[in-house]
Amino acid sequence: MRLGRNLYVIVTVIVTCSLLVGGLGAWQNSGTEEGWSFAGLGLIVLICYLLGAVGVVWLGWYWLSLAGRITSIAGWLKKDGQARIKPGGNPAINALSEAINERFDAYTNHISELETEIKELQIQIQLSQRREKNTEAIIYSIRDAVIVIDEFDKLLMANEAAGRLFGFDFQNSQHKLLGELISTDKSKFVDFLSRCRKSKGRATRQEMKLAEEGRPKTFDCIVSCVYDQREQVCGAVAVLHDITREKEISRMKNDFVSHVSHELKTPLASITAYSEMLADGEAGDEETRKEFYSVIQNQAKRLNRLIEDVLNTSRIESGLIKVSKEPVSLTILIEEQLQMIRSFAEEKNVEVTGQKPIVFDQVNVDKDMISQVIVNLLSNAVKYTHSGGSVKVETEVDEIAGLTRVRVTDTGVGIPESEIEHVFDKFYRVGVNKKQAKGTGLGLNLVKQIVEKVHNGRVFVTSQIGVGSTFGFELPLAAREKVKAV
Amino acid sequence: MSEKRVLVVDDEIHIVHVVAIKLRNNGYDVITANNGAEAFELACREDPDIIVTDFQMPVMTGLELARKLRETEATRDIPVILLTARSFAISQEQQDELQISECISKPFSPKELLGSIEDILYQKELVADN
Repeated sequence: MRLGRNLYVIVTVIVTCSLLVGGLGAWQNSGTEEGWSFAGLGLIVLICYLLGAVGVVWLGWYWLSLAGRITSIAGWLKKDGQARIKPGGNPAINALSEAINERFDAYTNHISELETEIKELQIQIQLSQRREKNTEAIIYSIRDAVIVIDEFDKLLMANEAAGRLFGFDFQNSQHKLLGELISTDKSKFVDFLSRCRKSKGRATRQEMKLAEEGRPKTFDCIVSCVYDQREQVCGAVAVLHDITREKEISRMKNDFVSHVSHELKTPLASITAYSEMLADGEAGDEETRKEFYSVIQNQAKRLNRLIEDVLNTSRIESGLIKVSKEPVSLTILIEEQLQMIRSFAEEKNVEVTGQKPIVFDQVNVDKDMISQVIVNLLSNAVKYTHSGGSVKVETEVDEIAGLTRVRVTDTGVGIPESEIEHVFDKFYRVGVNKKQAKGTGLGLNLVKQIVEKVHNGRVFVTSQIGVGSTFGFELPLAAREKVKAV
Repeated sequence: MSEKRVLVVDDEIHIVHVVAIKLRNNGYDVITANNGAEAFELACREDPDIIVTDFQMPVMTGLELARKLRETEATRDIPVILLTARSFAISQEQQDELQISECISKPFSPKELLGSIEDILYQKELVADN
């Protein structure tokens, strides 16, 4: 712009000077030939300069338009990325514009492709984060202990159950070596996990005994390797399912089957042997025959009692048992059962004593079931009492509480304190007393079920090793139940 | 020939009773015990020709009794018949190790038990004669 302006000034000064020189010459020599020649020369110079001026003006205009176009392109480049440079004007500028437009289009396309890729990546990141959160939520909600390690045996993830089992806090343990987090008494798990990861197997399973909070437990431990996109093992996941209870139930069931079959076979052996003796005429006289018949009868009853125990336990548990309650006197029921148990007690040389009947001890119960409760308590008391010992049955009426209480006290072997809370559990048999007598572990469980589940009563037990035990139960009085019903 | 003495051991007194009658009816001298410990004491004192014992008993089981008999010089060679209400109560290895002549499962026939006792005592006599 400045150059154009200067050119205009120079051209204007030259034209003005030429006109002045031509005019002055013409004025001084007016009327002369020289004057005309000066004027002619001045005119020629003027025309030349006018032509030069026109050229300069055109050049200036061209230059200015070029500069303006370039400036507008620069402005466009600075300002707007969307519009295209419009063609027109100088072909060189047009070519430049086209090149810029093409390059710009290419960049625009590339940018939009990148933007699409970024969006896809963002979606993938969000999905991945959601998946990670889901995985975390699943792992944390699993009750089994779950541990995830990387290819260097460093902890990646662990749930609360795992922290509790292995005694670490996950938040402060991430990316630490598993071997450093888990105490040496559980190092067999670390070794197993590491071995499984190195073996690159899909899933490996092993039963493992580990202590949790000081208690010995059994776990079903499953380890699966984690593979990356190149199918290389990049870690492992271990799930430890606590099977202590299942093992215990399975063991108790096996014991139960073994005990029941033994218990069933014992009276059956007597029945078989005595009947064979009778059939073979080995019972010489009438008295012996009667004795044999009596044994067969008693053993058949024993067998029936056992079968009833087994059946009733499952019936009560499944809620299928038919209960027919009627008002009965507990003392009378006890007396009936005492008669039944006496022959067994005499065999063992155990004295069994009852007490005088109480008049107002009517309870609203299923007679057969409560008879079974009494006989189970009595037979247990006799079974676990040594020869020469005694079993005493007491009944009392607590009118204030509105219940009757029955206590069966023996001078037997007693129950260790640690085991007393389990004596009413199904299939449970007191370890140290297993040798003392045979049993199925069902009798006391049945007592509890009948008293508490069917009759809304309560069972209780107190015991002292070497001194004896007292088992008993409380039942609501019939009168009290009537009042409640009203 | 003197009466053969049989020691019958079971915590079920009915079983002891019926086996004793069967054996006595067939000319045997029968002594009885209700558990392994009692039986061992009797075996040492009375020197029976054969012992018929239950497997599962309080105080001392039939298996423990057999082991103790084999460990004691005086009772080492007394044949033992094991009565058991449990299937697979003992393995063949245990039976061989403790020299248990026969395992009879409950319920059993007194007649068959008598037959087994006679067989075992007969074989014992043959071995002694040779």
